[in-house]
Amino acid sequence: MSPRRGSSQLLLGFVLLAGLHFYVRPRLWDSRAAPDFLLLALMLVAIRARPGVAALAGFIVGLVNDVLTPASFGAGALAHTVVGYLAAWGRAVFFPDNLLVNAGLFAGGVMLRNTLMLLASGTPAGQLSAGLLVWAPLQALTTAVAGTVILLLFRNWFAIRIEV
Amino acid sequence: MNRAPGRATSRSDTLLFLGCLVLSGGAIALPERWSYALANGVRETALRPVLWLQQRAVEGRTSRSRFQALQAERDSAVFAAQSLTELAVENERLRALLALRGRTAVATIPAEVLHQAAPTDGRTLLLGMGSASGARVGDPVISPEGLVGVLLSVGGKSTVAMSWAHPDFRVSAATEDGTVLGIVAPSVNTEASETFLEFRGVAYRDTVATGTLVLTSGLGGVYPRGIPIGRVAGVRKEELGWERIYRLAPLANPGHLAHVLVLRVPAPAESLP
Repeated sequence: MSPRRGSSQLLLGFVLLAGLHFYVRPRLWDSRAAPDFLLLALMLVAIRARPGVAALAGFIVGLVNDVLTPASFGAGALAHTVVGYLAAWGRAVFFPDNLLVNAGLFAGGVMLRNTLMLLASGTPAGQLSAGLLVWAPLQALTTAVAGTVILLLFRNWFAIRIEV
Repeated sequence: MNRAPGRATSRSDTLLFLGCLVLSGGAIALPERWSYALANGVRETALRPVLWLQQRAVEGRTSRSRFQALQAERDSAVFAAQSLTELAVENERLRALLALRGRTAVATIPAEVLHQAAPTDGRTLLLGMGSASGARVGDPVISPEGLVGVLLSVGGKSTVAMSWAHPDFRVSAATEDGTVLGIVAPSVNTEASETFLEFRGVAYRDTVATGTLVLTSGLGGVYPRGIPIGRVAGVRKEELGWERIYRLAPLANPGHLAHVLVLRVPAPAESLP
């Protein structure tokens, strides 16, 4: 595959994720447990990129989140920066080609993001426990499933090698 | 974009990471006025296409169910309107007898709720309407069930509302019969999976029965009188001798709303004849 074709496929992949996030998600299942395709895009960047670049991508994705949900501006940027950086490092430590490891990475990313965001935004105790014990695991599960399907279908677009 | 680990890249990665953390900390420390203005600016420019896409998706999803709901509501409204003319005439006659001013007309602006994936969604709601609709900061937001919140920032094409789940939310409230007054605020310490409001500042001598409907009192000038907020679900705390705090089960759930109405209450100068 030529580098030009590879980068256009990669760009197409991220456009696909944006479309899933901003059109398909609200059209089909607009719930707090629905998969977060923006975080999925961040994780896919983190899988391929250096930790610094992943942190920067996380900061940008987090800022987009903060702009759309300004309950506590900056909390999203902080949480996504940490998730992007740690995901890029975690990728080097774990088995990068295993599908289940990737699914775990997506789920872990959602859990960590939600935990950091809720803590950084000064969430009251009741909402915090409901957010961490109910909604975060559900969203982590759905995001992991969606991420696995996307990896299986479009792994060539994202240039990610997976052992199936 | 392929990774090439090494000491030099590790240092640059760490610096980039720390830089992003510092910028995030700076964003958290921004005064609310600036952060709302910044968020509004980005929504109106860079994120405008994706918000337009999301609004079309929400409209598409809800148009069929909304049509059916509207049909049902129209039938009920036609039935209720049959006696409305007679009531309006009677009301006007009584007001004239008591030398009262005419009722303040409240206009409503419908808006779609654009839910986001962030865990803090529900504390603030992004609405698919802008300043062209006539909405202003401070206008109340309601749903058919009851009070949802108040507008925080109004942009050209999108608007942010603070819901009752936001820690800063407060509203002056009264029981349905108007005898007990207090302040409603989100509950700080609730059990897991419980989301309650608190009806605070109720005098110790006043007792409110479980199940009592609590409405906005109209005091303070932000929320008009009579919007349902929630039902009393028991005593949360007693400050012996001077105050009781009641738990209030909210009627509207910001996390599940697809549509809301923004109340356009005329300013005092506008409502005067």
